Amino acid sequence: MRLGRISKAVGVAAAAALALSACAGNSGGTTPSSATAGKQGGSATVVEVNAFNTFNPNTADGNTDINSKISYATHSGFYYIDNQLNVVRNEKFGKMEKTSDDPLTIKYTVNEGVKWSDGTPVTAADLLLQWAAFSGYYDDADSEAKTGTQYFSYAGDPTGLKLTDFPELGDDNRSMTIKYSKPFADWETVLGGPGIDIAAHVLAKKAGLSDAKALVDYLKEKPKGDPKAPKPADEKLKAMADLWNTGFDTKTLPSDPSLFLSNGPYIVKSVTQDQSLTMVRNKDYNWGPEASLDEITVRYIGSAPAQVQALKNGEADIIAPQASADTIEQLKALESQGVTVEQGNQLSYDHIDLNYSGPFAEKSVREAFMKTVPRKDIVDKIVKKLDPEAKPLDSQLFVPAQAAYAESAKNNGSSAYQDVDIDGAKALLAGKTPEVRIMYNKDNPNRVDAFSLIRESATKAGFKIVDGGLGASDWGKALGDGSYDATIFGWTNPGVGVSGVPQIFRSGNGSNFNQFADPEADKLMDELIVTTDRSKQDELTTQIDKKIWESAYGLPLFQSVGVDAYSDRITGVKFMPNQTGVWWNFWEWAEK
Amino acid sequence: MVTYIVRRLITAALILLGASFLVYLLTASSGDPLEEFRASSAPNKQQLMDSRSQLLDLDTPAPLRYFKWLSGAARCLVPFGGSCDLGKNIAGQPITEALGFALVQTLTLVTGATILAILIGIALGIITALRQYSALDYGVTFMAFLFFSLPIFWVAVLLKEYGAIGFNDFLRNPEIPLPVALGIGAVAGLIVAVAVGGAARRRLVSGGIVFLAVSLILIYFSLVQWFRNPGLGPVVIAIAGVGIAFAVTLLVAGLKNRKALQASLIVVALGVVAYFAVQPLLNQATAVMIVLLGIATIGVGVGTGFLMGGYDRGQSMRAAGITAFLVGGLILMDRFMQAWPSYFSNSRVRGRPIATIGAGTPNIQGDFWVLTLDTFTHLILPTMALILVSLASYTRFTRSSMLEIMNMDYIRTARAKGLSERSVVMGHAFRNALIPIATIVAFDIGALIGGAVITETVFSVRGMGFLFLDGIMHTDPNPVMGVFVCVAVTAMVFNLIADLAYSALDPRVRIKA
Amino acid sequence: MSQPTQQEEFLAEHAHSRQPGSSYEPEAKGLSQGQIVRKRFLGHTGALVGLFIFAVIFLMAFTSVGWAGIPGWWKYDHLDVSPLVNDGVPTASLWPPAWGEHPFGQDRIGRDLFAMTMRGAQQSIIIMLLIGTIAGLLGTVVGGLSGYFRGWVEAVLMRITDVIIIIPVLLLAAVVAQSVNRRDQGGWFSGFAASNGILILGIFLGLVSWVGLARLMRGEFLTLREREFVDAARISGASNARIIFKHILPNAIGVLIVNVTLTMSAAILLETALSYLGVGVKSPDTSLGLLISQNQEAFSTRPWLFWFPGIFIVLICLSINFIGDGLRDAFDPRQKKFNAKKARDTQQSGEPAKAPAAAADGSAGD
Repeated sequence: MRLGRISKAVGVAAAAALALSACAGNSGGTTPSSATAGKQGGSATVVEVNAFNTFNPNTADGNTDINSKISYATHSGFYYIDNQLNVVRNEKFGKMEKTSDDPLTIKYTVNEGVKWSDGTPVTAADLLLQWAAFSGYYDDADSEAKTGTQYFSYAGDPTGLKLTDFPELGDDNRSMTIKYSKPFADWETVLGGPGIDIAAHVLAKKAGLSDAKALVDYLKEKPKGDPKAPKPADEKLKAMADLWNTGFDTKTLPSDPSLFLSNGPYIVKSVTQDQSLTMVRNKDYNWGPEASLDEITVRYIGSAPAQVQALKNGEADIIAPQASADTIEQLKALESQGVTVEQGNQLSYDHIDLNYSGPFAEKSVREAFMKTVPRKDIVDKIVKKLDPEAKPLDSQLFVPAQAAYAESAKNNGSSAYQDVDIDGAKALLAGKTPEVRIMYNKDNPNRVDAFSLIRESATKAGFKIVDGGLGASDWGKALGDGSYDATIFGWTNPGVGVSGVPQIFRSGNGSNFNQFADPEADKLMDELIVTTDRSKQDELTTQIDKKIWESAYGLPLFQSVGVDAYSDRITGVKFMPNQTGVWWNFWEWAEK
Repeated sequence: MVTYIVRRLITAALILLGASFLVYLLTASSGDPLEEFRASSAPNKQQLMDSRSQLLDLDTPAPLRYFKWLSGAARCLVPFGGSCDLGKNIAGQPITEALGFALVQTLTLVTGATILAILIGIALGIITALRQYSALDYGVTFMAFLFFSLPIFWVAVLLKEYGAIGFNDFLRNPEIPLPVALGIGAVAGLIVAVAVGGAARRRLVSGGIVFLAVSLILIYFSLVQWFRNPGLGPVVIAIAGVGIAFAVTLLVAGLKNRKALQASLIVVALGVVAYFAVQPLLNQATAVMIVLLGIATIGVGVGTGFLMGGYDRGQSMRAAGITAFLVGGLILMDRFMQAWPSYFSNSRVRGRPIATIGAGTPNIQGDFWVLTLDTFTHLILPTMALILVSLASYTRFTRSSMLEIMNMDYIRTARAKGLSERSVVMGHAFRNALIPIATIVAFDIGALIGGAVITETVFSVRGMGFLFLDGIMHTDPNPVMGVFVCVAVTAMVFNLIADLAYSALDPRVRIKA
Repeated sequence: MSQPTQQEEFLAEHAHSRQPGSSYEPEAKGLSQGQIVRKRFLGHTGALVGLFIFAVIFLMAFTSVGWAGIPGWWKYDHLDVSPLVNDGVPTASLWPPAWGEHPFGQDRIGRDLFAMTMRGAQQSIIIMLLIGTIAGLLGTVVGGLSGYFRGWVEAVLMRITDVIIIIPVLLLAAVVAQSVNRRDQGGWFSGFAASNGILILGIFLGLVSWVGLARLMRGEFLTLREREFVDAARISGASNARIIFKHILPNAIGVLIVNVTLTMSAAILLETALSYLGVGVKSPDTSLGLLISQNQEAFSTRPWLFWFPGIFIVLICLSINFIGDGLRDAFDPRQKKFNAKKARDTQQSGEPAKAPAAAADGSAGD
């Protein structure tokens, strides 16, 4: 029942940002080797929570995790992201090169021989279609005035590609060059991967154009959309966009094979509505990591206990249930029968934020409150059972997996809040007993428990804690409405990416719910989003982190823990923190 | 009569309109459809929210949206118009399509369970009523209430752990240790001893016989690895057939009706002959063929009964027909057992036949027998869970209904005129006790269509309940309305049928025209 | 919810309530109806055991952790967080009998499971009683009015009943669950709802579960108003109110009480199911249903979190069912009450009692 609709694009961007800021020099050119551990052939059954419903995972309505994963296994592109959060280039597919820094210019070239499963080569037209859909270039919609048209309903963030002009296509029809009007930090991951999903020649045919070339020509003629001067909707483009938006939605295998073309290691063979999906190896594929298994079956199971029991009963080979102490313990108990359990941190984290108003208008009160938050205790009780190594998170912008984390955590002032300091808090309060209303999602047990522990501790220092918890359908609406003084929640995407940082921390921005405002931090963030140099990015982010901690913003609590497990039939599964999950290296999965 | 039906239908339509309006408003106000985006820090958060609002048409107030929905739904009334439009769900699938799929899933899941629960429940109810305040009555009452009180997800988890995982582990090496065989035998004997009633001696003897029989059978099974290579064979079918013939005749006609008994026994003999005759045919079985064979079997039985005649030809026909059907069932079961080893070693099943989730093994290939076995192994756990929790109401209901009838004057009259206990119970009491069950069954069919929300969740079956719940979770009225309309219409139609049947069955009930 | 509802039992009762009962009652000689009922009820072992168990649970639940601001005798309440003792494993032991610091164990953050279970039992009992009271009252009023006055009153009331009966309870519960957790709108209702979520849930469920009872009571009134004693009262000039309260209601009270108890036992399961689906009681407040659904993953790892609340649900449910069963037998004048005793007597005298024959003996001896 859990809603697993997570924006793939956001996740990828964030992961990329992590990679960009964390791992200097480990990208480009590393063509991955294929798995050798197991034998070639065989099959595996993977469990997913949600049911597959579209072959286009990029639309706002279609980007559930499962659709993205199926697309990932059946399509290839210029890069993918590995479990160290590096961007790994797939040079067998094609080349993505930065030809100029100013203006930022990127050239994409698809290798010869890369083709769709109907035999048509993958060309620049396919890239152009993806660019057109992702950039929103033709949109002239104005949401305030309710005028104009939004053509492609893309789920990801178009900010980067909005800065580009109509691409230049190579004469050989295999390359495309885009130029950014401003430097853009995340250029590596906005286009061309991890999969080129939709074939331009199919879309062209279905929209009534003769072929992919006609589509390219048509797009070339069409001027950029301007929300200030909306034009009547363009019929042809609208038809194409509608096809892109909904034409690939299906819960069964379409009778028309062009609707599920593959250009990756696998191709979908059968879909049983709401039950399972089976993929078999794409015979033509040789432009990327080579897969071991002949067949991968995906089954959908919602509840974690049911997943564990399915693994135990041999109905599933690979599962990644939502982690809880009990689930992990149950899985560990299966280790005796050959099951391997892997745990790791995910990219989301829980935190408590204090409003810069009400009882917390004074910094000393905020500091006093932060001194009472029993972070160690919360981690011990909520995540220790899942991950014995767990520690409180000490940075608002980095996670421990990143190199810059240690440095930032040491200097950002988090050391003052390591242990509960009731006396210190009492001294800061000087006899005051502020009433604090804490808002959180009552339907999330972790938040409820964190709240209970914080209330227990803060009361000792003289705070009067009011339980402001709301139900699942209300707490989100209440964010930022001033009806509470502090709130416990998690960022569903890691607020550590370059584009995510200003969204949360820049004054006046949409997700800056507690009204943090620091002109110096704002200036640093403006600089950050146009910085393409990674070490410079780290430096800026560290400075911003320090500013946030100095103003007694609130406290990060802990990172979520993820778990996956696989049976003794299978090898090669590796934990991955982002939304791709275990699927990131599906080609290495093999039967023992 | 016709006026009555027309009036009922019109009221039903009005009620449906009113209720659907309420349901729509309730669903629309039951949550925040944009919740998943609220705490997102995605730069294009607003755009995502706008797109969802547009998808769900949130800018239109809910009452107006209802009428939009209604105008689409109204077109469903046009038969074969093909323009039926119940809207789309959040995944962009038309509700009509989603409903069609979910309905099949749900019906496969609950039909068998409901029928079995009704049959077992009525049987238990009658037995407990006849043995009111006996140990058996208390035992059944306690168990029924106990299972009724157990949350179904709890039952499901236990069933999966022991019924699937445990049993599959057992199948890997299907040997029953001697003490276990004896223990199971002892428990079975004890239950029978309590159940038979009567004098201590009679209880002891029946218990002892059952204990010996069960233990010996289990030891035999263990020795020949029967669970790996099960089968009945003609001998067992013949023996069981004779037993069935006697039991059926006893219940339907009474053993005094020699003609009926003879007819049943002849049918059993025919069955054993047919066992050899149909084997080659069964190898190419399809579902249609099985149904036709079943009809033919009953036909042969009824025909035999007719030819045997006797003082009550109808009784002979009934006895022989039912016997034929049951013996046919045995032959069918034997054929399924023959297919078991090939199912067991199927590369998709890999020696773990009992499944914990889903409605079938993905990509399984095989003949009719293997595929049907696959469905059975997937249905068995949810069916058991559903039977356990729904047994209580049928048992208790039949018991009280039966008790009441047994105290009626006409039963006393029947006894007074010297009828046998069998014909008092089976002929006079049972039939009248069944009349109110028509109401219950009608009521249940509505619930049946609505799906077993929790059972579907724990067994990963995406039926009507899942569709409904998912709609509520996403504050998406379309699927909720789809399920609701299906359930409400079926419930109303069946209630009407029940009322009509009631007046047909019970002459005291008059329908006001 | 496809779990069997007491609805069916209503229908069963309903079906038979149309039939006139036999009027001759041997044990009614010289005893008032109340005395007969009491006597029969006390002769029903199952019901007595049920009553005893329920009384114990009731007392334990309401005295241990206190209620409505009155402190209880147990040292923790369901919100207190205390250090984990023995990693949360229950400290109670049967031999040597010891209660220990946390007899039922603790959850992961150290809340005392005994206190939580007791609080949960309280909440479940409150919901149950609320639903029983409200459904009983509303059902009687609506069913009684429509059955007695018939005509347009009946038409209107029964159509309303029809509308409510086909609205899925799950949906209604979801709506209530949302509004209970909504406190950002101000106003007295949200203020009240915020602090008394459980009351609102109980009241609301009561407001929707009266429909079966109303149908049943209507049937009961329909038959009773045609009976001779009602005619007699009417002819002697009794007012409608007098006929209803003095003549009809006392005769219908048995059916009413029995079915209210059954509604109550179904109510506990309804609450459990709703909490499992996430639309029932919300934490940090707790209920038995919420406790087991929250801890269902702990089933094989920390079983006590699952078993203790589970056992309490089953116990409450079982005892209420048995009480209801006993009441049904006690109130139903058509059922032979003392068969068990009779059977025992005959067995003592060494005569084998054939069950069906025993029933026949009963009738013959009358």
